[in-house]
Amino acid sequence: MKIIIDAMGGDHAPLEIVKGALAGQKRWGVDIILTGDTTEILKAVEACGEKTLPHGVEIAHATEVVEMSDDPATVFRRKKNTSMGLGLQMVRDGKGDAFISAGSTGALLTGATLITKRIRGIRRAAMAPLIPTSTGKAVLIDCGANAECTPEYLVQFAYLGSFYAQRTLGLDKPRVGLLNIGTEDEKGTDLRRQTLALLRTAAEAGHLNFIGNIEAKEAIKGGCDVIVTDGFSGNILLKTMEGVGSIAGQAISGIFRKNLLTKLAAAAVMPGLKSFKAMMDPNKVGGTAFIGIAKPVIKAHGASNAEAVENAVGQAVAFASSGIIADIESNIHLMTIHGE
Amino acid sequence: MTMEAIFKTMQDLIAEQFALDADEITMESSFADDLGADSVDLVELVMAMEEEFDIGEIDEEELTGLKTVGDCVRFLNSKLN
Repeated sequence: MKIIIDAMGGDHAPLEIVKGALAGQKRWGVDIILTGDTTEILKAVEACGEKTLPHGVEIAHATEVVEMSDDPATVFRRKKNTSMGLGLQMVRDGKGDAFISAGSTGALLTGATLITKRIRGIRRAAMAPLIPTSTGKAVLIDCGANAECTPEYLVQFAYLGSFYAQRTLGLDKPRVGLLNIGTEDEKGTDLRRQTLALLRTAAEAGHLNFIGNIEAKEAIKGGCDVIVTDGFSGNILLKTMEGVGSIAGQAISGIFRKNLLTKLAAAAVMPGLKSFKAMMDPNKVGGTAFIGIAKPVIKAHGASNAEAVENAVGQAVAFASSGIIADIESNIHLMTIHGE
Repeated sequence: MTMEAIFKTMQDLIAEQFALDADEITMESSFADDLGADSVDLVELVMAMEEEFDIGEIDEEELTGLKTVGDCVRFLNSKLN
């Protein structure tokens, strides 16, 4: 398998990206193509302790970089030779099996839509991270790619999330919930009520295991396997979880540092504490796939360090070999809603 | 290419991109108000127009005036004929 990585995207590019790519190559046994400025990439390779480009690693030269200040909608028309744009073209043309970038989320989503293209019939690609819950993990779709949604988008997200949960969580019939401010059918906005009706119809037809509205607190307790929502509220849910996790971590750390006795107690529960921290650590997660794009495109956290990139390579491998894109393509007829 | 032929081709392009029936799209259809298009939709459509009609790259300044399907059809007519 060959993974294409935008060497110039992200807060710590190119050094941390290259470092993570080289580690990912060894760990996951894949070939890597790094897109970006050849001189800069070679300098980073050298800084990683390698005198020459390791076997199985190539560079695809690009002279420009997508900056955070670039307008996502037009950047690929203005800048023709960016490391991100080149990577998207290469994955589209089959020169690699997946593409990873830690660059601008908006630009990557737009580029994936314009260059790599959506799966035919999919109206919007969504970002769907796996979030920790009390009972395991759940797919949160969308977490920020689409701030404003229509019922059709949300219905499609429900299907996309369900296929993703089947493939990544190994569930036969993932329980799909619509994130809302209450469980009763009349709760929420028009968008929520219209979507609820469409999802109930899909459930009655046996296409989805839709369980109805779900509140955020129940969702993170493991009340469903797929949390369907617009990117605006999904992003707030995700960031709130990150914030609460961070506060909880600091509070626990403070409690255990109080005196010798509590420090001894901390040593006893340290493995558990470490796994709790890892559960909330974006660097352990690596990245988030854009579901609905015709080829695997993975968004790594903007602040990705080498560990995050290494993990993103693993995620790219898993996504590319999961068969989810074929699942979506063969079920697209279920997801199209006419006459809106 | 006649205006009518350009409109038919545009109807097909837009129907494909926005998952609509072609007969729902008229010359008066507004991209933002009737089709719910955002900036990415418009760039996507413009790229499809450039490819379909083989007219090279459309300048960004020219894009700003294209608010309805009819605007696009007239713009393409001026480019092609």
